[in-house]
Amino acid sequence: MTAATAPAAPPAPARPARITLPAPARLLRLELRRSIMPWLAPLLAVLFWLTTYRPAMANPPFWNVRSGMVQSHAMLAFAPLLAGAAAWAGSRDRRRGVADLVGMTALPPWARQVAAWAATTCWAEAVYLACVTVLYVVTAHQAAWGGPLLWPVAVGATFVAASCAIGFAAGVLLPGRFTAPLAAFVMFLALAGGAFALQANISYAQIWPLNVQGAFPADAYGIFYPYLPDLPIAQLLFLAGLTAAALGGLGLPAAAGGRWLRAIAAAMTAAGLAAAGTGVALAGTARLEAHGIVIPALHDAASDRPTSYTPVCAHTAIPICLHPSYRALLPDVTAALGPALSQVAGLPGAPVRVTQVALTSVQAEPSNGIAFGGPVISGRPPVLYLPLAGGTLPGQGTASAITENLREQDGPVILSALVGLPGELGAQAGSGAAEATPNPGSRHAAQVAVLDGLVKALGMVQSAPGGRIQHGTPSGANQELAATRRFAALPAAARHAWLATHLAALRAGRIPLSEVP
Amino acid sequence: MNVEISGLTRRFGRTQAVAGVNLALEAGVFGLLGPNGAGKTSLLRMLATVIPPSSGTLKLLGRDPGSYPQRRQIRRRLGYLPQNLGYYSGFTVAEFVEYFALLKEMPPERVPAAVTTAVERTGLGDKARAKLRTLSGGMLRRAGIAQAIVNEPELLLLDEPTAGLDPQQRVTFRALLRDLGLRATVVVSTHLVEDVGAACSQVALMDQGKIVFCGTPAELTAQADGTDAAGDAPLERGYSAVLAAARAATGAPS
Amino acid sequence: MTTAGVGHPPRHADPAPRLRAGRWLAGLRLARLYAVSRRVATCLIVLIACAVALRTALHWLPRSGVYARQIPLTIEAGAAAVIGVTADSPFGEPERVAGRWLPYLRLAAAVALTGAALGLLAAGSASQPLAGGTPGLLRDLAGFTGLAFLAGAALGGALAWIGPLGYLAITLPALAGHWSTPWVWPARPPHDHGAAVCAGLVFVAGLALVTVRGARAWFR
Repeated sequence: MTAATAPAAPPAPARPARITLPAPARLLRLELRRSIMPWLAPLLAVLFWLTTYRPAMANPPFWNVRSGMVQSHAMLAFAPLLAGAAAWAGSRDRRRGVADLVGMTALPPWARQVAAWAATTCWAEAVYLACVTVLYVVTAHQAAWGGPLLWPVAVGATFVAASCAIGFAAGVLLPGRFTAPLAAFVMFLALAGGAFALQANISYAQIWPLNVQGAFPADAYGIFYPYLPDLPIAQLLFLAGLTAAALGGLGLPAAAGGRWLRAIAAAMTAAGLAAAGTGVALAGTARLEAHGIVIPALHDAASDRPTSYTPVCAHTAIPICLHPSYRALLPDVTAALGPALSQVAGLPGAPVRVTQVALTSVQAEPSNGIAFGGPVISGRPPVLYLPLAGGTLPGQGTASAITENLREQDGPVILSALVGLPGELGAQAGSGAAEATPNPGSRHAAQVAVLDGLVKALGMVQSAPGGRIQHGTPSGANQELAATRRFAALPAAARHAWLATHLAALRAGRIPLSEVP
Repeated sequence: MNVEISGLTRRFGRTQAVAGVNLALEAGVFGLLGPNGAGKTSLLRMLATVIPPSSGTLKLLGRDPGSYPQRRQIRRRLGYLPQNLGYYSGFTVAEFVEYFALLKEMPPERVPAAVTTAVERTGLGDKARAKLRTLSGGMLRRAGIAQAIVNEPELLLLDEPTAGLDPQQRVTFRALLRDLGLRATVVVSTHLVEDVGAACSQVALMDQGKIVFCGTPAELTAQADGTDAAGDAPLERGYSAVLAAARAATGAPS
Repeated sequence: MTTAGVGHPPRHADPAPRLRAGRWLAGLRLARLYAVSRRVATCLIVLIACAVALRTALHWLPRSGVYARQIPLTIEAGAAAVIGVTADSPFGEPERVAGRWLPYLRLAAAVALTGAALGLLAAGSASQPLAGGTPGLLRDLAGFTGLAFLAGAALGGALAWIGPLGYLAITLPALAGHWSTPWVWPARPPHDHGAAVCAGLVFVAGLALVTVRGARAWFR
C-alpha cells in the first residue's frame, strides 16, 4: 500500500429520490397486499356471472334493464358474502393471537381497524366495479340508444362499502368462529325482510337497497325522461350513514384511542345514524309518478323535462312513431296495429298519428304492485299515445308473439276509444284488470256491436276481462250478436264508409242497434 | 430511571398474579426469573401497557401510562415480545416487521432502513421475503424479536426470547441484548438461567407475585453458599436456594 | 433374595366389565371434549335460534309466492353454515396425529348436528305452512350442509360458510327465475327425485371428506 492517491472515482449517478409514502398509505398498502378478499374474487365473479350477467344478457340491451339488474341482482349475491368476509377480516387479530401485540402499539386501534376495513373494501369495490364494467362494456356495444346509468352502480358501490363496514364491525366486536357466517346470514335475512316489507307496502321500505324505482318495469324509466335520482340519493344517504355509523362505532370504546379521536368517532357515529335515518324518512315520502319514484324533498324539476330524441316512424295510413331504442319493434307494432288503424284512418276522431310514450297513467297497487294505463287517444288533432313499457321488449320473444300480443291488448282499446264506449264498458289494456263489464244499456248496444264487429273482422281477440261484453236479456243478446255478425261481414270499405258518416252519432249514442248495417 | 414501580399489583378475578412489586430500572439488561405462575408474564404485560395495574404506581420512561397521551408516547419507544407470539401467516418477515414499525408510528422515511436493520440484526436477512408460515419456530421467534427492536426502543420487554433458538443463535442473541442494553432498559423474562448469567447485569427472582430477590447474577449465585440447594449450575443453585428460603418464610410448599 | 413373601396374586372378579365401562366413560369424555373444542353447544344455541326465526317467519309470511320459499331457505342455509364452521379444528397437527378416533368423532359430530338442525327446524315449522314440507326441508338442509363440509375441506373450517351461503346467492334468483336444473335443488319440487339425488350426493361427498380429512387449516 503506497501513499499515492488513486484517481478519484467518478461520482455515482444520482439515484432518483424515493417517494416516501405517508404512514397511512404504507399501512394500507400492507393490508391490501395481505387481504383475504382476492381469494374471494373468483367466487364473487362466478356469482355475478350466474346471477346478473347471464340474466342481463338474456334481456335486450336496454341500459335501464341491465343497470337495474346490477343493483337488484348483483347486490343480493355480493352483500352477504362481503359482510361475512369482512367479519372474518375484522376478527383477524384475535384469531391470530396478536391482539395483545398490536394492542400495545402507539397507533390508535381505531386507526388500525379503519386501515384494515379500507383494504377489505377496496378489494371488494374493485371486484364489483370490474364485474359491472364488463357488463356495461358489452351493453355499450349492443345498445341502440342511450348511455350507461350510473345511479344503480353508485348505490351498489355504497352498499358494498356498507356491507364491509357492518361485517367488519361485527368481527371486531364478536371475534368468534360463528361471527362470519352469522354476519352473512343476517345480511341475507335483512335483505329478505326488506323485500317483504316493500311488498307489504310499508312506505319506508322503499329504502331497501335492492329496490330500483319501485315496482316500475325496468323499461319504464330512463328512456323518455331522465332516470330519476330521488330514490338512489336517499339510498346513498342511508347506506353511507350505515357505513359511517358502523366504523364510528368501533372508535367509541375507551381503548380505541385518545379523547379527541373518540370524539371524532362519536360524531361520525351520530352523523351516520342521522344520515341513515334521514334516508329512511325521505324514502317514506316517496310517491309513484309517471316516470319514476319521486321524493319531493330531493326532486329536481329538471328531471321532469322529457329527454329529446328523434323518433323512428313507419309511414302507414296513420304514421306510427316509436322511440329509437324500440326501433326493432317497429315492424311488429306496425303489423299489430296497422289493420285497425287502416280501418279507422281518416274517420272523425281517429288519431292522426301514433306516438309511443312511457306511460299514460300509473297507479300504485297492493303488494308493491303497479297498474298503468293503456293506449289513450287525446289532443287536437287526436293522437294515439301508445305505451309499450312492461310488455315484450325488442329482442324478447318471437315477432309473431309480439304482434299478436299487441294486437290483442291494444287493438281493441283503440277501437273502443274510437267508437266512444266509456272506459268501464269498453276494452281495457295495460296491467290493470277492469271490472266485469256491467250490462250495457240500449244506448251503448250499438257501440258494443260495432266494436265487436270490428274486432271480429280484424281477427283480434279481446283478451282483457273488460272486453267481454255482457248482454242484457237473452233477446237483447241475440240482437247484439246479430248486429255484430252483420257488421263484421261487411267489406272493409263499406265499414269504413258507414263509420265515416255515422261515427259521430254512434259516439253520441244516437244509433240504435237495428241501424247497424 | 426508565422504569419506576412501587407497590404494583395485578389481580385476575380471585387470583393475585402480582402482589406488590417495587422496582427501579435504568439502562441495562435486567433478567426476570421465576417458576411458572410466579407473575413474570403479568408484570411484563403491565410494563408493556397491555393491561393496567390493579393498584400501585407505575412510571415508564418518565411518563404515566395511565394517561392516554403519555401512554402513546411510551408505546412509541417500547418494544415487546410476548411469550406466545401470534403472527399473520401470509406476511413476509419484512412485512411483519414493517407492519409493527408503522403501528409504532415510526417516521415513514425511517421505516425501510429500520426494517432492514432489524431483520439483519436478528439474522433473518436472507429470509426477509419469506412468508412467516414457512419459517421454523426459532426463525419465527427471531422475527418476533425483530419487530420488537425495529423502533430502537428505550424500553424492551422480552418474554422467553430464546425459546426455540439453537445454542449458537442464543449466543448471538445474548450479544444483541448486551448491545441493546447499552442504550435501553431491557427486561428479559426467561427460564434459562444461563441467558441471565451471560447477558444480564441485574436479575430479579419472582415467586407468588412478589420479588424475592433483586441483585446481580453473582449475588444470586452466592445465595447458594452454605446450602444444599438443587441445581447443575451455580446460578441454578442460587435460584433454588432463594426460592426455598422465600417459601420457607411464607410457609408455602417448596 | 428369596421367594418368601412372593405369593400368587389374589384372584379378582373378571375385570372385563369394568374395563368396558371405563372405556365407555372415556369415550364419552372424549366425545364431550371434542364437542367443547368445536363449540358444539354454541352451534346448538344458534340452531335453536334458527328454528325460532323459522317459526316466526312462517307465522308472518304469505303461504305462497317467492318469499314463502326464499326466507325459510335462507334460514336453512344459515343453519348449514353454522354446522360447517364447527368442523374447524383449533389444534392442528397434534390432533391429526394423535390417534384413530378423530374420523369417528368428526362423523358423529357432523351427523349429530345435521340431525339436530333437521329436528329443530322441523319443530320450528311444525303446524306452520312450510313450502315443500319436511321432505323439502330434509333435502335442502342436507344439500346445504354437504356444501358447507365441502367448502370446509377445500378452504378451511373457518370459511366453510362460504359454501352454503354462496350457493344460496345462486338459489334465490333461481327460485324467482324458475330454473329447472336438479343441481339447484331448492328450485325443484320437494318430491323431485333428481334434485333429491343431487342434494344427497353433495351431502354424502361432503360428509365423507370432512370425516376422512377434516376441515383444512389453510386460512386461520
